[in-house]
Amino acid sequence: MAKIAITGIGIVSPSGIGKRQFWANIKAGRSFIKEITRFDASKYPSRIAGQIDELNKYSNISERLLKKIDAFSHMALIASELALKDGGIDIKDEDPNLVGIFLGNAIGGWLYAETELRDLYLEGREGVSPYMASAWFPAAPQGQVSIYYGIKGFSKTVVADRAGSLMALGYAAKVLNKNKLNMILGGGMEAPVTPYALLCCNTYGALSKNNTHPQEAYRPFDKKRDGCVIGEGAGIVVMEGIERANKRGAKPLAYISGYSATCDGVDRINCSGDGKELARAIKMALSEAKANVDEIDYISLDGLATDLWDDSEVKAIKTVFAGKLKDIPISCPKSMFGNLLGASGAVDMITTILAMEHALVPVTLNLDEPNIEGLNYVTREVKEHKINKALVISRGRGGINSVLVVEKGEN
Amino acid sequence: MATKEKIKEVLVNLLKVKAEELKDGVALQESIGVDSTEMVESVIALEKAFGVKLSPKEITKSSSIDDIEKVLQSKFAK
Repeated sequence: MAKIAITGIGIVSPSGIGKRQFWANIKAGRSFIKEITRFDASKYPSRIAGQIDELNKYSNISERLLKKIDAFSHMALIASELALKDGGIDIKDEDPNLVGIFLGNAIGGWLYAETELRDLYLEGREGVSPYMASAWFPAAPQGQVSIYYGIKGFSKTVVADRAGSLMALGYAAKVLNKNKLNMILGGGMEAPVTPYALLCCNTYGALSKNNTHPQEAYRPFDKKRDGCVIGEGAGIVVMEGIERANKRGAKPLAYISGYSATCDGVDRINCSGDGKELARAIKMALSEAKANVDEIDYISLDGLATDLWDDSEVKAIKTVFAGKLKDIPISCPKSMFGNLLGASGAVDMITTILAMEHALVPVTLNLDEPNIEGLNYVTREVKEHKINKALVISRGRGGINSVLVVEKGEN
Repeated sequence: MATKEKIKEVLVNLLKVKAEELKDGVALQESIGVDSTEMVESVIALEKAFGVKLSPKEITKSSSIDDIEKVLQSKFAK
């Protein structure tokens, strides 16, 4: 696979909107996990999350459009705008037939759906907004972004639980390799901080119940972990071929050089405990990137913060990197702002790109006592470290493994 | 309130457009770029506001405020 350039970043997260604010908070190791205040969550086993307040403040979206869309589309529209601006792209100058959108999402837009379903039962079918049909489903943000910018090229939404957005980026890189599109907006979005979505996430059983200490709740790879904490947001990047980026004078922030995905195929919900399929995905991604194990300078971990998922992830990287692993810093920065589910992989890739730019490895919060010792965990303080090549791991329910190899850009 | 003013008020509140964008003799598609889903919503809102039954064929994207007024007047006359 030819390397694909990433030339613009758009991030909408509990840790900040826009890459500067986001990185400042990531660098400082601040937690943005708080008690849920949007609705009464007092009866939920897990009632903490990474939330985004005042989304409207950052948005140029008209009231007319806002009433038709769910929060996850709103987040995707803001992230797309930020990415295009960061990449110096004026969409009016692009051939709309040669621009695509590849986004990942896990659960759809429930804030909108819940209110409308309530009205369906209270008022009958005429109580339901006609926009319900086009607002809730996982591909709605792709549709809204395409309408907003007049984008008409081949596009896809990937639904693969938490692995969706990393898979979307992988697919996007492969599609650009076919030279049938000039540019892709790639990434993902998720808005799970709603009464019904939170209920479903709680039922899944992988959420931390440490409601009394929200900032200490999400502790991947730690002995005292008891699950992840959900978060909301979007991460979208501008992707294009290197030649085109150079031609228009854009400095690539990073390159995607390898991608692979595998399935464990052992359980409806759980992954396999041996990490073998994840290890195979890592090896294939490295092979596609023509990268040796000793060339990887950082690994961004999935870190669901449950025994099975964390330990199998560690087994997988041990299988692939063996003795080299002690030299590779690893971390799970999403412990600061929550697991953005279908958007988590794209946000992890963005964090990794910013880590490369600043030569700093962000921390895993609350990793006080690793369950598996002997690894180069970055905890408590950011670590100065040059990163030229990195691995981003994103996994989904039922044992979906996706892995991306990212390389440092020109700045 | 005159029928025409009430139609405009319903559409302004519903679609979040400005009153001055709605031109009496211009099709909704031309004046405010109304889409098909907005039309479905508008027909339901007008039904509720005027207490009449309307079919989506009677009021379309090509209808102007004047056209909508005529349709409603004909319903009142029945």
